[in-house]
Amino acid sequence: MSDNPKDVLIAAYLIEDLAKKDFDALVKLAENKTIAVEGVVLVRKDSDGDVHVTEAGDHLGRKGMKVGGGVGLVVGLLAPPLLATTAVGAAAGGVASKFAKHRLESGIGEKMDAALPPGSGGVLAVYDADGASAVENALANAVKTSVARIDGASAKELKAGLAEAQAGMAG
Amino acid sequence: MSNESIDRSTLPIRRPPFKGVVKETLDGSQPDWDHVAPIRAPDGAPNVLLVMTDDAGFGNPSGFGGPVRTATLDRLAAGGLSYNRFHTTALCSPTRAALMTGRNHHAVGYGMVGEFAGPFPGYTAMIPKDCQPFAKTLQGNGYSTACFGKWHLTPDSQQGLGGPFDRWPNALGFDYFWGFLGGESGQFDPMLIENNRAIGVPAEDDFYLPDAMAAKTIEWLHGVRAHDASKPWFAYFAPGASHAPHQVEAEWADRYKGAFDQGWDKLREETFERQKQRGVIPADAELTPRPDAMPAWDSLSETQRRLYARQMEVYAGYSENADWNIGRVIDAIEEMGELDNTLVIYIWGDNGASLEGSLTGTFNEAAMMNGVPLTDEQQLQLVLKWGGLDAWGSDMMAPHYSAAWAWAGNCPFQWGKQVASHLGGTRDPMVVHWPQGIREQGGLRSQFTHVNDIGPTILVAAGVPQPTHIDGVEQQPMHGTSFIYTLDDADAPERHTQQYFEILGNRGMYKDGWWLSMMMPRTPWKIDPETLKQFAPGVWDPDSDPAELYYLPDDYTQANDLSAEHPEKVAELRDLFWQEARRNQVPPLLGGLSGFFGIHPPAPAQSEFTYYGDVQNVAPGTVPPIYNHSYTISAELEIPQGGAEGVIVAEADHLGGFALFVADGKLKHTYSFVGVKEFRQESESDLPTGRVNVRMEFAADAPKPATGGEVTLFVNDEPVGGGRMEYTVPVRFSGYAGMDIGRDNGMPVDRSYADKSPFPFTGTVKKVVFDVNPHLTEASEHDLAEHANWAHTAHAITA
Repeated sequence: MSDNPKDVLIAAYLIEDLAKKDFDALVKLAENKTIAVEGVVLVRKDSDGDVHVTEAGDHLGRKGMKVGGGVGLVVGLLAPPLLATTAVGAAAGGVASKFAKHRLESGIGEKMDAALPPGSGGVLAVYDADGASAVENALANAVKTSVARIDGASAKELKAGLAEAQAGMAG
Repeated sequence: MSNESIDRSTLPIRRPPFKGVVKETLDGSQPDWDHVAPIRAPDGAPNVLLVMTDDAGFGNPSGFGGPVRTATLDRLAAGGLSYNRFHTTALCSPTRAALMTGRNHHAVGYGMVGEFAGPFPGYTAMIPKDCQPFAKTLQGNGYSTACFGKWHLTPDSQQGLGGPFDRWPNALGFDYFWGFLGGESGQFDPMLIENNRAIGVPAEDDFYLPDAMAAKTIEWLHGVRAHDASKPWFAYFAPGASHAPHQVEAEWADRYKGAFDQGWDKLREETFERQKQRGVIPADAELTPRPDAMPAWDSLSETQRRLYARQMEVYAGYSENADWNIGRVIDAIEEMGELDNTLVIYIWGDNGASLEGSLTGTFNEAAMMNGVPLTDEQQLQLVLKWGGLDAWGSDMMAPHYSAAWAWAGNCPFQWGKQVASHLGGTRDPMVVHWPQGIREQGGLRSQFTHVNDIGPTILVAAGVPQPTHIDGVEQQPMHGTSFIYTLDDADAPERHTQQYFEILGNRGMYKDGWWLSMMMPRTPWKIDPETLKQFAPGVWDPDSDPAELYYLPDDYTQANDLSAEHPEKVAELRDLFWQEARRNQVPPLLGGLSGFFGIHPPAPAQSEFTYYGDVQNVAPGTVPPIYNHSYTISAELEIPQGGAEGVIVAEADHLGGFALFVADGKLKHTYSFVGVKEFRQESESDLPTGRVNVRMEFAADAPKPATGGEVTLFVNDEPVGGGRMEYTVPVRFSGYAGMDIGRDNGMPVDRSYADKSPFPFTGTVKKVVFDVNPHLTEASEHDLAEHANWAHTAHAITA
C-alpha cells in the first residue's frame, strides 16, 4: 500500500443495476492496474437507512464477499456497522472505534449520510487520489458523487488495525 | 299543471298561481297540490354525467390510439360517439369557466386561473352574475345537482371560511359539493371541502382521492334515487388526475412496467399509427415534428431514460386509475337501471397534457411553480433524496413528468397546455354516450366543437331553455353552440364555425376551417422574470409574433403552415381575432400577469393575522403573505408540568412549508425550501412550563424574491436560538396543502415527527399571530406589497 493520499468516494445511483455497471468498471480499473485501488464496494441503502453490501472488489480486481483489508478500509470508513459482518467480525470493537474517530474527524460520516439517501444504490471506493479522473470517467451513471480525502499514513494505520483485528479473530 | 306549460325562461321558476279555493275554514276549501309541488324537469329529461379529467392529451387514451388503457372511455365510445375536433381553452380554470357557463372564458373573467383575480374585466376570476352556470339552470328546473373533485372557479383569496361563498359550487348551481376548490390536490392527502366547509385531510391511511370521489358520487346518486324515484340528476365528476402531483399506488404504475422504455419519439410514432388504424384521425394526417426545445430520446443518458420511463409509467397508471373510477360510477348508474337515459359527456382533459414539468420532469411541481432553477443533475439528485424511482408517484414527492412526455401525449399535435395557439394545447378527446338519444354506436364526429358548447348542448338535451333572467339578473346569451345536431348526423355541416383562443398571450383564431396560430416566443415551462421581460409593456408587440396559418380540413394536425401563401387570410384572421378579443374582454393581453409588470393592488391594510388554537385546514391561497420579506410568527402557549410536544403551527409539507413545533423539550423551526433544502433552528434550552410566549422572527436581507435572512427564536422575549436561511420560497409552498394551528395535518413539514403525525400539541395553543410587516428592516410597505403580489402572480401561471 502506497503512502499516497487516498480519495474516499461515495457515488449514489437512482438505478441499482447502473450502480453495478459502474462498480464493475471501477473493479476493472483495479484489475488493469490503471489506478491503485484499495477496495470497491457495491451497496444498497434500504428505506430504514441501513446499508447492505451487495458485492465487493479488491485491489487486484477480484470480486466477492470475502473482503480483504482494502475493502475493509472502504467499509470501515463509509459503512462501519458493516465491519462486524464483513471484515473483522463482531468482536473488533477497537478497530471500529478507530474508524469511527476517523470518520468524525474527516467528515466522511456526514458526507456518507448526505450522499446516499435511503432507498438508493451506491458505489463506495478508496483509491489513490491521482486516479481521480479515471474514476470519474468510470462512474458514468452516478447521480451524485462525493469525495473525501485521507492521508496515506492514516489509511495505512487503519488498514493495519483491520489486519490485526482479523488476525485476532482468526486466532 | 303540466310540465310543458311551465315558463322556464326566468329562474327561479315562479310558483304557479293557486287554483284551489280558500274559505274561512277547511269547510268548502279546495286544495291545489300543484301549488306546493316542487318544480319538475321536463318529462323524459335525461340524467347528465359530465366528466372532465385534467392535464391530459389527445394521444393518451387507448380509445384515441394512446398507450393509457381507458376501458371506460373506450366502452362509452363503443356505445356512443367519439369527437375528434373538440377543443378546450388550453388552461384549467378558463376551460372550466367556459364549460360551466357556456360562454367564452375571458367574457366570464377567466382569462387566467382562479388563483389570480386581476384588475381587468377579462381576468377577475369572478364569474359574473349575468353569466350563471348551466348547473344553476338545471337546478332551477328540477334537477338534483352535484359536483365532485376539482372546482377551480373560486378566487384564491375567497377560499377561506370567511367567504364570500357566492363563487363556491353551492352558489353556482350545485346542491352538493365534495372535492377541492383549487387547481390541484394531493391524491393521498387532499384538503377537502364539503359544501361550504373545509373538512380537511382524511385520516384513513389508505385514502386515495379518485377512489373516494367515485364512492362519494355513487353514494350521492343512491341518495337522490332513494329520495325521489324519478328526479333527474346532473353530476359533474372532475378528477384531479392527471394534473400534478402525479400520485398513484405503485401497483397501477407497475402495470406499465417497460411500456415506455422505447421513449417519447417512438411512443409518438406508435400512437400516431394506432390513431390512424382506429380511424380517430384522418388517413392523410401528418405527424408534426418534435420541437427543438425538447431532446431526442436517444440523446439521453441511461439514468435519464430509466427515470423518465418511470415518470410516464406513473402518469399512465394515474390516468388509468381515474378512468377506472369513472367506470365505477358508470357501473353504478347501470346497476340503477338508468344508463340508457343518462347523457354521459366524457372529456379527456381540460387542456392538452402539461408541459410544465420542464424537460427533466420534477420531483416537486412546486419547484417549477416557484421558478427555482434546477439543473438536470440537481433534479436527479432530488429524486434520489426523496426516495428514488420507487417513490415517484408516492406522497413523498409531488411529481410532474418531463415536458416531452406531454408532447408525446398530445400526439399528433404540436405543443400542449398553455399553448392556445396550437392543437396540442386545445384539442382533447370527447366521448358522448346516451343510448336513448343517440342511434349510432361507435361513431365518429368531426364537426368543430368547443368546451363552451357543452352547456348549450346539455340544456337542449334536457329540454330546458337558456333562461333570460336568473335571480332577477338578466343573463348574457351563451356563446357556445349546441352540438345536438351532430348526434344523428355525422355529415351535418358544422355550426360552431368561429372561435377565438387566447391563453397567456398565445392566440388562435378559427374560422370555417382556417386556423391562425400566434404563439408567444416563450416555452411553457419558463416563467422567470428574465423570460417575461421580453413581454413587458412597450417592449412586446403581439402582432409581430410569428403567425402560422393552417387549413384544418386538409391538415388535421397543423403540419403545413400556409401563411406565406395566404397573407390575406393571415391579415383577415388577425383582424378577426382582435374583434373577437375586444368583444370578449381579452385585452389587455397578459392581463393575468399584470403583477409581473409592475401593476400591483393597493398595499394591504392588514399586516397581522391571528389564528386561535382550533383553526385548521387554512387554504393555501389564504395563508398570511410571508413570502419575500421579513415576518414574525408568535404563539401564546400553555405548557403543562412535565412539558409538552407537538406542532404549534405548520403550513404544507416536506416539499415546501414551515413548522414551528416543540420536540424533545425544545422550540424548533423547520423551513423547507420546496424540498430542495431544509433549514432548521432550535432553542438551546428547554421550554419552560406555564404560560409561554414563543416567537420566530425572520429578518429578510431585503424585500426581494426568494430572499435569504436570519431566523431568531424567542421564548418569553429572550432569544434562545436561530440561524440563517439562505433562500426562502418566493411564490407559494404548495398548490394544495394547507395550514394548521396546533397540529400538522397531511404530510408533515419535518419528517422527524412523521411517525407522530399530525403531531398535535400536547399543551394548549391559545393563539398564533403572524406579523407580515414587522419593520425588522427598512423595507417599505410598497416593496412588501410588490413582492407579495409578484408571488401571487407567479403561482397563477402554473396552477
